Amino acid sequence: MLGVDWWGLALPFAYIAVLLGALVTFSSMSRKRRAAKSANLAPWFPPHLQRNIYLSLLHLEPEEGKEKAPAVPDSVIRAALLRRAVEDIHRIIQIRSAKQACSTLLQRGSVGDDLWQRFERAEKEMEEELRDVVTEANALTPNWGQTIFQSANEIAAGTLLRKKLQDIQSQAPAEKEWWERRRASIQSEFMKELEAPSKGGSDDDAVLINGANNTASIRKKKGKK
Amino acid sequence: MSGTDYSYDEQGQFFPIFIATIVGIVTIPLTYTVLKPSSDPGATAPRIKTDYRPEHADLIDIQRKAQKKKERKLKRILTVVAGWATIAFMGYLIYVTARTIPKIWNPYDILGISDSASEREIKSHYKQLSKKYHPDKAKPDPAKNETLETINDYYVELVKAYKALTDEEIRNNFIQFGHPDGKQSFSIGIALPKFIVTDGNGKYVILVYAALLGILLPYLVGSWWYGTQRMSKEKVLIESANNLFREYDEGLEEGGIVSALSTGLEFQNALKGDKAESGLGKLESRILAEGTATPLAGGLSTKDRTVLEDLDGGARRKALALLWAYLGRVELDDPALNQAKIEVAPIAHALNTSFTAIALAFGTTAPILASYLTGQNLLQAMPPKASPLLQLPFITPAIAKAIEGDSRTHLSLQDYMALPEAYRKKLAVGKGLLTEAQYNTAMSVAKQLPRLQVEKAFFKVTGEKYIIPSSLVSLVVKGRFIPPGSQDIPEVNELDLEDIDPDEDDLDAILGRKKKGVKGAKSEEEKIVQPPLAFAPYFARDYSPRWHVFLTDSKQGKIAVPPFTFTTFDKPIYDESGKPTFNMQTLKAQFQAPPQAGHYTFVMHLICDSYVGFDTKMEVTLVVDEASKGADIEADDDISEPDEDSIAGQMQAMKSGVPAPPKKKKNKPESSDDEESNTEEEVEDTSDTDTDTDEE
Repeated sequence: MLGVDWWGLALPFAYIAVLLGALVTFSSMSRKRRAAKSANLAPWFPPHLQRNIYLSLLHLEPEEGKEKAPAVPDSVIRAALLRRAVEDIHRIIQIRSAKQACSTLLQRGSVGDDLWQRFERAEKEMEEELRDVVTEANALTPNWGQTIFQSANEIAAGTLLRKKLQDIQSQAPAEKEWWERRRASIQSEFMKELEAPSKGGSDDDAVLINGANNTASIRKKKGKK
Repeated sequence: MSGTDYSYDEQGQFFPIFIATIVGIVTIPLTYTVLKPSSDPGATAPRIKTDYRPEHADLIDIQRKAQKKKERKLKRILTVVAGWATIAFMGYLIYVTARTIPKIWNPYDILGISDSASEREIKSHYKQLSKKYHPDKAKPDPAKNETLETINDYYVELVKAYKALTDEEIRNNFIQFGHPDGKQSFSIGIALPKFIVTDGNGKYVILVYAALLGILLPYLVGSWWYGTQRMSKEKVLIESANNLFREYDEGLEEGGIVSALSTGLEFQNALKGDKAESGLGKLESRILAEGTATPLAGGLSTKDRTVLEDLDGGARRKALALLWAYLGRVELDDPALNQAKIEVAPIAHALNTSFTAIALAFGTTAPILASYLTGQNLLQAMPPKASPLLQLPFITPAIAKAIEGDSRTHLSLQDYMALPEAYRKKLAVGKGLLTEAQYNTAMSVAKQLPRLQVEKAFFKVTGEKYIIPSSLVSLVVKGRFIPPGSQDIPEVNELDLEDIDPDEDDLDAILGRKKKGVKGAKSEEEKIVQPPLAFAPYFARDYSPRWHVFLTDSKQGKIAVPPFTFTTFDKPIYDESGKPTFNMQTLKAQFQAPPQAGHYTFVMHLICDSYVGFDTKMEVTLVVDEASKGADIEADDDISEPDEDSIAGQMQAMKSGVPAPPKKKKNKPESSDDEESNTEEEVEDTSDTDTDTDEE
C-alpha cells in the first residue's frame, strides 16, 4: 500500500538541504566578513599625540630604584591638557565641516559606506574625548571645564592665523629677489637706450606695425640688428 | 489518468519556437545597445586639425587604440552575433518542420468556398464546379499537364467534399470542432524534445539546472551587486574616492591635489608588483632635476617635493612621481617609464573628477577651482601655474619662458595671440626657439581652439519682468567662440560685432531663442553642435571639452549655485572650412532665487575643463524684488492703458463694465533696475529688453 519510493523522495529533500545549506553558509560568511572589515576600519584621525602626552604625564611610572614617581608640576599638566583641547578643536572643526559633505556624497554614491562608518565612529569618539577633557579640566581646577574649550578655540584660531601669515611672509624673499632682478634689467635697458637712442626708438615702431606688412617689418628689424 | 496524455515534441515542432523566443528576448535589447549611436564623443565630434606629433606619439596612439578596443564591447557584439545565429537557425528549423505537419482534409478548401457559406451557396457553387470539371465535359489540357485521370480524381474529390458538406452531421462537426470526424482527442504537448526526459538523461538535466540556478545566477547577481558597490558614481574605485575624501582640505592647491590623486587605488592596480618600484630612483632624479622654467623639472613646488619625499616607496610614490613627470613633460629615457607616464594621466583625470565632486560637496570655492584647474593641467600635461602657452605644439617650458620674458604673471594664450603678428613672431621664432614651420603649426592650432568669450551674463525669470523671491531664475550667459588670435577674419567684421550695441545683439539672440522655445525642444535637438575634441596631444584619451558655469559667493568663499555643465551648443562654432562663425551662443542655468528680496552679488565662473586660461570670472548681481512689486506691475499692465491710476479712470472702467481689457502687453523698453550692478565688464543684470517681447 505504502510503497514509498524512498530514493525518489530523497532527491527533493537533498535539493532543499543543499539550497538551504548554501544560503546559510553564504549569509554567515558574508556577516563574518563584514564584521571583520568593520573591525579593521582604519581610524579617521591619526593617533592623538597631545592626549598621549597628557596621559603619560598624569600616570608617570616611578623610575627604577625609586619609590615615588617624579612630581609633575601642575602648570605642566594644565598646559598639556590645554594642548589636548586645542587638538580636539582642530578635529571637531574637521568633523563638523566634513559631515554635511560626507552624507551628501554617500547619498549620491560618490563615496563608500565604510567611509561613513569610519566617520560616525570618529564622531562618537570625539564626543567621548570632549567629555573626558571637560571632566579632567574640572578635576584640575574647579569650573575650568566650562571655559577650557573657549580658550582652546582661540588658541587654535590664533595658530591658524599665524601659520597663514608665515606662509605669506615666507614668499617675501623670493618676491624681493625677483623685483631686484627686474629693476636691474629695466635699469640696464634704460642704460642701453641712453647709449644708443636712435636704435631704441625704431624698435618700438617695428613693434607697433602689424598685419599685412609684417614680413617687411621683420626684415626691417633684422636688417637693423 | 496516465502520463501518456502528454506528448513530447518529438518532431521538434515547438522547441525551436521556444528557443527562438528566449534567445530573442535577450538578443534584441542587446542588439539595440550595440547599434545605438555611441555617446562617445570621439566618434562624431570634429577634431582640431594639425599635423603636430608630440614626442612618443606612438606610445600615446597605442594607448588610445587600446582604450578604443576596450570600449568596443567585443563581448557584447559576439553575444549578439551568436544570438542572431541561433535565432536564424531556429527559424530554419521552424521552416523545415512546418511542412511535416499533416494537412487536415478540408472540404471547404477543395470546393474553394469560405467556411461561413450557407447550404444553398454550397449547392450552387458545387453545381457550377461540376459543370466545369465533370470528366465528360472537361478536356484534358496538356499544357497544364492534365490527363483524364487527374481530372477524374479531382472530380471525385469535389464530389466527396460536397457530400461531406451536405451531410448534416459532418457539417456540424466541421462547424463545431473544425474536423469532419467530430471531436478530436485533446492532446497536451510539452515543448521539450523527448531526449530531455528519456531515462538516464534526468541526472544531466538536473545537473544543468543546478548549475544554472545554483551557480550561474548567484554569480551574475553577485558580480553585478559587488560591481556597483565597488565603483563610485564618478566611475572610480570606491576606496579611491574614500581616500580622496580623506585627503580633502580647504587649503588644497593644484599641487596638493596632484599629491592627493596619487592615493587612488587605480594606480596600485596599474603599477603592480615589479612595476611599483622599478626605475623610481631614475624617475625621481629626473623630475627633481633643475628645470628650465620652474625650479624643478617636474614643476613641483617645494611643498609638493616634501610630500613626495615623505611618502614611503611603492606604488603611490611612483604614481606621484610619474604624474609629475607627465605634467612636467619630462623625458625619462626608458620606454617602460615613458609608457607608464602616459598611462597615469587618464587615471588621474578620472580620479580628479571624483575629487571635484567631493570638493563640490564641501562647497568651498578655492578647492573647487583648484580641482578644475588640475583637470585642465592633466589634459594638457602642464604643471600647476605653468604658462598657458605650453598648450601649443612645439612650445617647451624654455620657449614659453623666453616668450613671456621675465614676468611674474603668465601670458594667457589669448593675450599672446592678440599681440601684433610681427611682434608675436619675433618673440617665438629664433635661435633656440621655434622654427618658422613650427611656429606656423602652433599658430594654426591656436587659431582653432574654442575659447568661449562671455559677452553678457544676466538673470531673468522667463516671461516675467521682475525676479521675485523664490522664483525660478535663469542665469543666461551669452558668449561667442572666439579662437585666440582670430585675425584671419576680416577685422572690420569683428569690430562690427563688438561695436554693435550689445543689447541689440542680445535682442536678436533672445528673439531667436524665444521662437525656438515656442516650437518646442525638437528643433533644438536637431541643431546640436559639438565642439571639437580637446586638443590634448599628450593625453592618451579622446576628450570632449565641457564648460561649467557656476556662481560663488565671494564673501563667504562658498559656492552658491552648483555647476551646470554644457557639452553641446545650439549654433555652429565653425563653418565648413573650419573658420569660426562667431555665432552668439546661449548658456542657461536655472536655479531658485533666494527667499528674501535684495541685491545679491555673485561671482560667475565659466570654466572650460580642457584648456588652461580660457576661464571667465565676472561679477553678476541678482536683484530680487519684493513679491508685491511683481504683482503691482502685472496689475498695472492689465488694467486700462488710457490713463493713470486715477479714481476717474477707475470709475470709468467700472461704468463701462469692462473690468480688464484684454491683455495687451506693451513693449516697455525702459528698464527699471539695471545699471547699478557691474563694475568691470559689460555685465548687466537686465530684466530690460527681454521683458515683454515674448511668446503670448
